[in-house]
Amino acid sequence: MAVPTPILEVRDLVKDFGGVRALDHCTLDIEPGHITGIIGPNGAGKTTLFNVVSGAMRPTGGSIAFYGRRIEGWGMHRTFGLGLVRTFQIPREMQRMTVMENLMLVPAQQMGEKLWASWFRPGRVAQDEDRISTQARDVLEMLTLSHLADEYAGNLSGGQKKLLELGRTLMAEPRMVLLDEPGAGVNRTLLRNISKSILLASAERNVTFAIIEHDMGFVMAMCDQIIVMANGAVIAKGTPTEIQNNPLVMEAYLGGLNRGSP
Amino acid sequence: MELAGVLNYLVGFFIMVGIYGIFSLGLNVQWGFTGLFNAGIAGFFALGAYTTALLTTPAPDAAQVEDFIFGGNLAGLPYLDWGIDFWFILSLAAVALVCGIVAYAVGRLTLRLSGDYLAIATLGIAEAVRLMFLNEKWIANGSKGLYRIPEFLGDLVSPANYDYLFLVVVLVVLALLYLAVQRVVNSPWGRVLRAIREDEVAAQSSGKDVYSFKLQAFILGGIIMGIGGALYAHHVRFISPITFDPLLATFVIWAMLMVGGSGNNRGALLGAFVVWGIWSGTQFLPWFFADPNFRFFMIGVLIVGVILIRPGGILGETRRVSRVVGASSHTPVKEGGNPKE
Ligand SMILES: Nc1ncnc2c1ncn2[C@@H]1O[C@H](COP(=O)(O)OP(=O)(O)OP(=O)(O)O)[C@@H](O)[C@H]1O
Ligand SMILES: [Mg+2]
Repeated sequence: MAVPTPILEVRDLVKDFGGVRALDHCTLDIEPGHITGIIGPNGAGKTTLFNVVSGAMRPTGGSIAFYGRRIEGWGMHRTFGLGLVRTFQIPREMQRMTVMENLMLVPAQQMGEKLWASWFRPGRVAQDEDRISTQARDVLEMLTLSHLADEYAGNLSGGQKKLLELGRTLMAEPRMVLLDEPGAGVNRTLLRNISKSILLASAERNVTFAIIEHDMGFVMAMCDQIIVMANGAVIAKGTPTEIQNNPLVMEAYLGGLNRGSP
Repeated sequence: MELAGVLNYLVGFFIMVGIYGIFSLGLNVQWGFTGLFNAGIAGFFALGAYTTALLTTPAPDAAQVEDFIFGGNLAGLPYLDWGIDFWFILSLAAVALVCGIVAYAVGRLTLRLSGDYLAIATLGIAEAVRLMFLNEKWIANGSKGLYRIPEFLGDLVSPANYDYLFLVVVLVVLALLYLAVQRVVNSPWGRVLRAIREDEVAAQSSGKDVYSFKLQAFILGGIIMGIGGALYAHHVRFISPITFDPLLATFVIWAMLMVGGSGNNRGALLGAFVVWGIWSGTQFLPWFFADPNFRFFMIGVLIVGVILIRPGGILGETRRVSRVVGASSHTPVKEGGNPKE
């Protein structure tokens, strides 16, 4: 069997913030259909990688290809259009909009997003809305947020906001989802729900996932591939077992810790 | 005052409330729903007023002409003699076009940048428009302005009763604009605008072309303001650059939206009523209280008072409860329920 072509190819990606080099010639591939974990000490550049890949930030150098298409420097709404969807480590919800509205916002190509259609085709718009609201209710149910459907998103707890972030990606019809610490601040029971919905989307809808997560139990159980980052570059890649037995990884984590304390 | 006098006063009052309601509605599209800071409402006000005046007004008396060549008064040209009433409607379309184009140009230049640029650009445009009409006398008679702007449907009633008719005209236009805006802000289009207002980055990550939606909202708001300006011109029937002073043509409109309730179209209209009521009511106060500066001060006090007591404005934005769960419990946001407080 041929080696599958990667869905995402990152080559020599560099991102500088003033004097800080957050990504330092970062190179990695992500294969379609997999759930890839991205781990590494704090400040390794994981979130920056997502920011640059999703188009929230322009890279200083290097290239990104999604399905063979060069996307570096694109805006987020354009990468979304290709089916590349991301969540934020610190949730970004529309505070003074309800949970339901936060979700219903997401689907692309809504009829009612066109001015003329809103004025002159209200029937079609309402039809669209019914479909989208049913979809949103299903997502809420899965995330156990149904009772908060009409609450302002700004009033949710930290963990609930993380769930809402995940919900937004489920409302899109993504080919690839980048999750930045989906489990942070979420309790165990909910975390199992999250795992379930990720596995479901992966199996049934063939969505590719890349997940940044510090919870090793979660990563080892969920992911079939793990990428380890340190100091802005990839230092190891492999299956959970390979990573657990890799001395470099241990050192990166300890080294990271050592650097932080005198 | 006898009854007829009171009635006349009230009719004039509500005409102005209606016109300012239109401005306030336009600003609500830009600021209330999208978070676009337009510091130069006066610019669109002036463009609307001058556009319709130039298209419909007969040339001024020779003695009053500063240096007026263009002349306008297309309605008076023999081969375009379709009557002033038809020209009135046509000129509203022209106003929409002019304001739409200017809004597009300003938006193209600034809406990709941070919000401060829009504020500065709109402030600059308003001043540029005013100075253009003041200094380029050939366009619209400079500081002497345009007067005898014709009345729409003026042949139908006697001049003494014309205001009653014009009040109906204003209310019809206001109602149409209100319904048009209500429909789009309550549709997914409006949902995207509010998402942009709340968090631009999150809206982008949800796949929305933020720039394009901002541009649409800015243009729609600008067109609405222009139409308000056109109605103003046909009501007051005299415009000159002083008419578009930033206090009465920008600040007061902001006050209306803040007081009435940003993000709520009914609030925008209520704000127009309350603020115009205070502005025109205070002119009857004795001695220095009737001074315009004191009256502006009163509006300032009102804004501060409302912001302290009801930060969202008198009506404020309502939470949009989804249809299936509780269509009946469409409650206004409670003070404690606002996440931004
Ligand atoms: N917007 C920014 N401006 C300046 N520096 C930044 C910015 N974002 C990240 N950095 C810096 O880049 C480096 C990498 O940060 P990044 O957020 O990517 O780390 P991370 O791997 O996601 O860490 P964590 O696990 O703590 O979330 C850090 O040194 C950080 O201070
Ligand atoms: Mg991070």
